[in-house]
Amino acid sequence: MSDEHEHHHGHEAPEAVDAGSQALAEALGSSFAIVKVVMLLMVVAFFGSGFFQVGPSEKAVILRFGKPVGEGKGALLGPGLHWSFPYPIDEVVKIPITEQQTVQSTTGWYFTTPEQELSGEELPAGASLNPAIDGYAITADRNIVHTQVTLHYHIDDPKAYIFNFASASNSIQNALNNALLFTAAKFNVDDILTRDVAGFQDAVLARVSDLTEQAHLGIVIDNCQVKSIAPRQLQDVFARVTEARQNQSKQINDANAYRDKTLLAAAAQASAITTQAAAASANYVKAIQADAKAFTDVLPAFEANQNLFAQQKVAETMALVLTNVQDKIFLPERADGQPRELRLMLNREPPQPKSATANP
Amino acid sequence: MKRNSLTIIIGAVLVLIFALLLFVFQVRQSETAVVATFGKPTSQNYDQPGAYFKWPWPIQKVYKYDQRVQNFEDKYSQTPTADSGMLLTSVYVGWRISDARQFLQLFPGDPSVSLPNAQSQLEGMLRTAKAAAVGRHPLSDFVNADPKALKFDAIENEIEQDVQNRLRTNNFGFELEFLGFKKIGLPESVTQTVFDRMKSERQVLISRAENEGKSAAQKIQSDADAEAVRTIANAQANATRIRAEGEAEAAKTLPVFQQNPDLAVFLLRIGALQQTLNQRATLIFDERTPPFDLFRNLPTNAPSH
Repeated sequence: MSDEHEHHHGHEAPEAVDAGSQALAEALGSSFAIVKVVMLLMVVAFFGSGFFQVGPSEKAVILRFGKPVGEGKGALLGPGLHWSFPYPIDEVVKIPITEQQTVQSTTGWYFTTPEQELSGEELPAGASLNPAIDGYAITADRNIVHTQVTLHYHIDDPKAYIFNFASASNSIQNALNNALLFTAAKFNVDDILTRDVAGFQDAVLARVSDLTEQAHLGIVIDNCQVKSIAPRQLQDVFARVTEARQNQSKQINDANAYRDKTLLAAAAQASAITTQAAAASANYVKAIQADAKAFTDVLPAFEANQNLFAQQKVAETMALVLTNVQDKIFLPERADGQPRELRLMLNREPPQPKSATANP
Repeated sequence: MKRNSLTIIIGAVLVLIFALLLFVFQVRQSETAVVATFGKPTSQNYDQPGAYFKWPWPIQKVYKYDQRVQNFEDKYSQTPTADSGMLLTSVYVGWRISDARQFLQLFPGDPSVSLPNAQSQLEGMLRTAKAAAVGRHPLSDFVNADPKALKFDAIENEIEQDVQNRLRTNNFGFELEFLGFKKIGLPESVTQTVFDRMKSERQVLISRAENEGKSAAQKIQSDADAEAVRTIANAQANATRIRAEGEAEAAKTLPVFQQNPDLAVFLLRIGALQQTLNQRATLIFDERTPPFDLFRNLPTNAPSH
């Protein structure tokens, strides 16, 4: 009211005032237009700031007033351009994850630098292990082994994995380290290195599964690989044990082969002996029976005239013998009736010539 | 009129946005928050995600904490075991703020200051609990092939319970989610003696493998030889039995020959003659041998006596 009153009193130069207020109104009008444009730009900028990009190896979750939008795996936004309300309504959390995650244990292996791992060249091992840099596990029989586990897993429950753990992958890595120590503590060195490599790996996997399930990390383990070696300081002596064990089994294999061969040969010989005996025995019996039959057949003739039968038989036999015999020498009786003296050279083979030059 | 209403809408949106920024704060899924009015924490913990009202600064200030499980590990340190060995151990824990209000009271200031303070408290408790637990057990409780004698889990539980109890007693506003050994090792000088022992154990294994291989192979071979000899001896015994049976069978025909032993002998002799003079034989005979005695009385050119 008082303003109006003052206004009323100030009507001394209406034209000048009109011109002035007009200019002011124009100025106000144009600056108000600028303000409007700026306001519009601010609103556009506000909503425009809601665009965000998700890279190829990451995912994003939109939090609306702090709560994730979407349930389970549906809450994860893949690579591409997305829009959300700007802060303070929505907030975007980006997580650098791929479909399959890989984590490796850190405390079971001797010291190497990444460059050495790439080049495959390592520093020679010292006489002892430095606790500050060299990792290892102590086995049930109080030996020292180097062992390393690589775990592949995927995220099953993103809400648990992202919002319950500041660094889930570090928690998993700790579980891996613990699993190696725990499992090595139950196994003897030879089981870890040679005798039960698969059993050791399974036990490590079982321990990791237990720990990650107890902690509700929200992951599913795809597989794990464990590699273990003897301390580098003892590589040669461990290799010699392996070699000695291989020799041992080779010796036993050779002995088994010898046994098989010997027993087969013995069995064959035994079978030949019995077969021969059986055949000989059967032949003998048959021959005797044939003789008996022949005897019975000729008995009446012999009894009828013994002399004639004998003569006949001898003559018959001699005829047969003489056809078979190679050399037949007939010595007529000496004129004086005395027996002849006969000298035999009992050497059927002709004497060998002494040599070709001696007897051309 | 149309232009004016658009202007008003835009203005209202802007006012709303500024009001939101001033009077509303968000608590994320992963966070817990506590509001302090002129520096004094209010009684409420905001541990559920959502948007909440506050008076603008400097009346009220919001302290937000990560409510997630955080990883922490203590230093790799050497402590004596119950059997006076030395063991190097390091444990990892997962811990989380469970009561933001309590946490703010005990560890005041921004999280960048208060979290390291809390962690150093935690480290102290871990060190004490770990040394006590390791000191109660011999090395055979840490590594053992017998699952019943192995106390690995039990030792971890002892440390965790100890720290958990201390946290509860002091009401620090944070708690442990899990605890485990991250590293277990031996002092550097001990590793060398372990290597020496391992080496001599390996030597024993080498000579054992060599000797066992040799003796096992020898045993297999001599067993096989004995078995072979036994098999052949059995076969020979069998053969003798078979022959004896044959002879017994043949003997049954003996009465036939006994009807006339003279004929039997005669036939045997004839048969023997036939068999001996079968091949490659030289027969020398004179006139007395039948049937050449036929030549005897023939006239010859020999001088007569």
